[in-house]
Amino acid sequence: MSTMTKDAPVFDGDSRAARREACVAVEEFNADYCAVLDDGDLMDWPDFFTEDAFYNITSRENFDHGRPVGLVYCEGRGMLKDRALAIAKTSMFGPRYLRHYLTNTRVTGIEADGTICATVNYILIETLAELPEGRLHQAGRMIDRFVPQPGGGLLLSSRIAVYDTLLVPNALVLPV
Amino acid sequence: MSWHSSITEAELLAKGVAGVEIDGLRIALYALEGEVFATANICTHAFALLSEGHVEGGCVECPLHQGLFDIRTGKAQGAPVTKDLATYPAKVEDGIVWVDTEARAMAAEAPAAAAVIAQRSDSRRLVIAGAGQAGAETARAARAEGFGGEIVLIGAERHPPYERPPLSKDLLLGRTTLAEAHVFEPGEAERLGIALRLGTAVTAIDREAQRVTLGDGSELDYDLLVLATGAGARRLKLPGTEDTPVHYLRDADDAERLGPALRAARQVAVIGGGFIGLEIASAARALGKRVTVIEAQDRLLTRLLPAEAGEFLAWVAAQNDVALHQGTGVAAVSSEGVTLGDGTLVAADLILAGIGASPNDALAREAGLPLGRAGGIRVNAQNRTADPAIYAVGDVAASCDEITGAEARTESWQNARLSALRAARSMLGLPLEAAETPWFWSDLFGGTLQIAGTPGPDLATVRRDGEAPAFFCLDAAGRVAAVIEFGDPELLRLGRRLIASGQPVDPARLGDPDIELSLIEDDDMKMLPIEKRFTWPASGLDRVPDWVYTSREIYDREIERIFHGPTWNYVGLAAEVPEAGDYIRTNVGPTPVVMVRDHDGGINVFENRCSHRAAEFCRELRGNAEEFVCPYHQWSYDLKGNLAGVPFRRGVNGEGGMGPDFNPENHGVRKLTVTQRNGAVFASFSEEVESFEDYMGEEMLTDFDTVFSGRKLRVLGHYRHTLMGNWKLYPENLKDPYHATLLHTFLVTFGLLVAGNKSAMIVDPRGRHSTMASAKSDGATVSAENKAEMRAYRDGMVLEDPRLMEFYEEFDSPWSVTMQVVWPGLIVQREMNTLGVRQIVPNGPNEFTMVWTMFGYEDDDEEMTRHRLRQGNLMGPAGFLGLEDNEAIKFVQDGMLNSTGGEHLVALDPKVPAGTSNTLISEAAIRAMYRHWRQEMGL
Repeated sequence: MSTMTKDAPVFDGDSRAARREACVAVEEFNADYCAVLDDGDLMDWPDFFTEDAFYNITSRENFDHGRPVGLVYCEGRGMLKDRALAIAKTSMFGPRYLRHYLTNTRVTGIEADGTICATVNYILIETLAELPEGRLHQAGRMIDRFVPQPGGGLLLSSRIAVYDTLLVPNALVLPV
Repeated sequence: MSWHSSITEAELLAKGVAGVEIDGLRIALYALEGEVFATANICTHAFALLSEGHVEGGCVECPLHQGLFDIRTGKAQGAPVTKDLATYPAKVEDGIVWVDTEARAMAAEAPAAAAVIAQRSDSRRLVIAGAGQAGAETARAARAEGFGGEIVLIGAERHPPYERPPLSKDLLLGRTTLAEAHVFEPGEAERLGIALRLGTAVTAIDREAQRVTLGDGSELDYDLLVLATGAGARRLKLPGTEDTPVHYLRDADDAERLGPALRAARQVAVIGGGFIGLEIASAARALGKRVTVIEAQDRLLTRLLPAEAGEFLAWVAAQNDVALHQGTGVAAVSSEGVTLGDGTLVAADLILAGIGASPNDALAREAGLPLGRAGGIRVNAQNRTADPAIYAVGDVAASCDEITGAEARTESWQNARLSALRAARSMLGLPLEAAETPWFWSDLFGGTLQIAGTPGPDLATVRRDGEAPAFFCLDAAGRVAAVIEFGDPELLRLGRRLIASGQPVDPARLGDPDIELSLIEDDDMKMLPIEKRFTWPASGLDRVPDWVYTSREIYDREIERIFHGPTWNYVGLAAEVPEAGDYIRTNVGPTPVVMVRDHDGGINVFENRCSHRAAEFCRELRGNAEEFVCPYHQWSYDLKGNLAGVPFRRGVNGEGGMGPDFNPENHGVRKLTVTQRNGAVFASFSEEVESFEDYMGEEMLTDFDTVFSGRKLRVLGHYRHTLMGNWKLYPENLKDPYHATLLHTFLVTFGLLVAGNKSAMIVDPRGRHSTMASAKSDGATVSAENKAEMRAYRDGMVLEDPRLMEFYEEFDSPWSVTMQVVWPGLIVQREMNTLGVRQIVPNGPNEFTMVWTMFGYEDDDEEMTRHRLRQGNLMGPAGFLGLEDNEAIKFVQDGMLNSTGGEHLVALDPKVPAGTSNTLISEAAIRAMYRHWRQEMGL
């Protein structure tokens, strides 16, 4: 769960060029990730994570004070799948569009095993039938760890979404 | 046709209404919008000339009892009149009004009702025990409101149903006949399909089998039962009563005996100075008899009338040569007359006792129905008894106010009729009409006394002498509560308006006959008081009006009376402020406050509002401070909220600054009363609030202490979200076990809660706090029947990671889940092992913020903490259950915001009027909450 900082030890693989390359890979990954959440099949969402991945959405208030609670708190892909299933098959909520924007990608480090540490800002826009003009639902940043996969591509081993917008409007239905 | 000339058109136009006698008929003529009309001139209700009445809006109002008839059709417009007037064709020729004295055929009676019966659209059977006015009116109203089943009306008397008021009045004097007093018109009962079984009474009720036994031994099943068993005359038990005939007057047979006896008598002694006694005294005087009235109390009608009105009534009796003994009991009766307590003999050859009536409630008592404290069958606002299939109407019903608990049994013509109507509408599931002002009349000594409203012997009374004297009772706020008039019905009409308006009146003006009553309330600036503008649906607590959730004025009153009233409001956890100087920003209701630990170790709560210019001075969500300084003008406050420093208090160079009267002690921020219970901190704006332990009560405290047991808490974090609904919808949601298995598919799908689980909805005796509790089922299966009801149920889904639903037993409680509402704004969540409190911060009527604080215990190991965090996925703004509740609450508010004048139906589980129920398919806890809310709100 630790985040890389500039002071962290730099391994051979952690060069400026490697980070730039990793940044492109992360941006590609996030574009696909957003597409699945915005318009795709929610059941595909857990496939962006490793088997033992950690996923948490928490407020900046909690994060800054070391409070571990999360709006969504998942340990392992099984819990992510359970959430996707619960939301897709059992939950009652009003119809809506949600659109995710992930920007300002920063690769903050590449660890010896190739794990990419990155942060990205995000905003989530929610449009409801009775609120056709839409509204900002969340703004914050993701603190991520990506594991390169043998066949190419990345999977998230950890994603912590920290939102600045402390007051959640009504309910957060889909993951960020 | 039989046309007759009458008065000139000019005369009729000048008068508007005129009475004429044509062809032996008394006819009233009217000029309405350039046309002339004619109706019978005698009111169908009691003897009065409509030509002396008040014409307005195409209707004529009877001068006597304000019965209203449509002039064009003769149609009776509602209580007290039920029979239509005859109408006659009228025309103008050569300036003369002509009338055809062959009355128009009455409009065909209710074809709709006839059709209903023909179809027999309802398989239910309505049995009415008691065929007096109330019973008969219930039968008629049930038909009129659309009841299509069988109706059986059972009466002990051999007479068809009749109204009782004439018994002691015109019937005694032979001025009318019993047939005139019949409730049903000839043929009406047959037409309405009402089976009359007269001369037999219901003798027993088997509630289990829904069956009654009759006096003749036969049995009859019912689906709905109405008890209209009335009241019986209270009997004298004195020396001599066994040998001396004493008359009573309650039913037609009594009246048949009394009439001739009265005529034959010379001297009449009436024991009891109530209305029955006085009416008989009045009848006896009309027959020229010597009459003595004996009243044990010091004056007449002490429990009903204020002293002035009672004394005036005594004066009227004396003016009519009635000898009156007040304040003297009766010792014995004999053939010579009545011996009083002081030995005086009141000579009489006819003795009558009118000493009140007692309700015929034995049948109900033997059936186990709850009775009123002073007898009578206890009923709710809908005249329903504790058994949802049984109603009680008329004299025998003791109606219990759901809010105050006050009971009232009313013996009046109006109550017989209105209670019948309420019961009929209620059993058909129709909303009730707004309550009418109580009304009562008595014909005495050639005049009529009428009462509107609820008089009381202890109310301030204003006498007004107009054409006849009237007495107005005023409540503590100076508003008219009742009017008692002795022959000026116009005053009754205006008095009713004053009662309805609810405005305080000036007693001096009210009592001044030179000031027109209609002007007293005629103030353009008047604002109806809140309780007149926001009136609860007449059906009672099973309806909740939308204004409860949408009105800003109601919201403001909630802040004042509830959140700022004598309530305990959760503000935070002691674990959030462990060290001296630690503080958090929090709220009491919507009002921002600061909770801070001082150097003595105490926790203080004060308003986050500078006493100088109202600035909310504490801006950080949490922190540590030695003092609080308002950024605007640097006024500073210590950790107890005392004003510590005011910059330039003495001015500069002797100029400016505060005046010498300024005392910092008077200008601290507003401090709240604070209490703690095992780490939870509560504050109150009230200094008189009871202890937290008394506030909760023992049962609720047990559930609370299960979570707050004294184990040190570890705060795991917060959620904050806004909900687009009225704040009360949240506690209601947790007092609504009905929704749990229907809305929350997740619970059912994954076996956390199924309809057959052990569960409970427990409410504290005052109705404000509650615990919704359930015990986790161990792989319990849902029966096919229950599954069909829960549309959301899905088979065959399993969790990949079942840790979410694991439950580590860690509490000494039979429940694995408790959701506790601590009124008004706290929810304590124990959803298996995920623990938290939710604080409601209202933001106006249509929105509130919810602040969640999730926690575990300091002695949890890391795995237990993670388990609590994982299980937290169930709750909160993104919780599997939480998000659905948020959405549902929003949908409810949306439904109200886009409509007007609506109401909610919370009628599930009528066997429990309000409170703890042993079924989850119940809304009794919501009703209990609104009983308390209405008490607190005075609405």
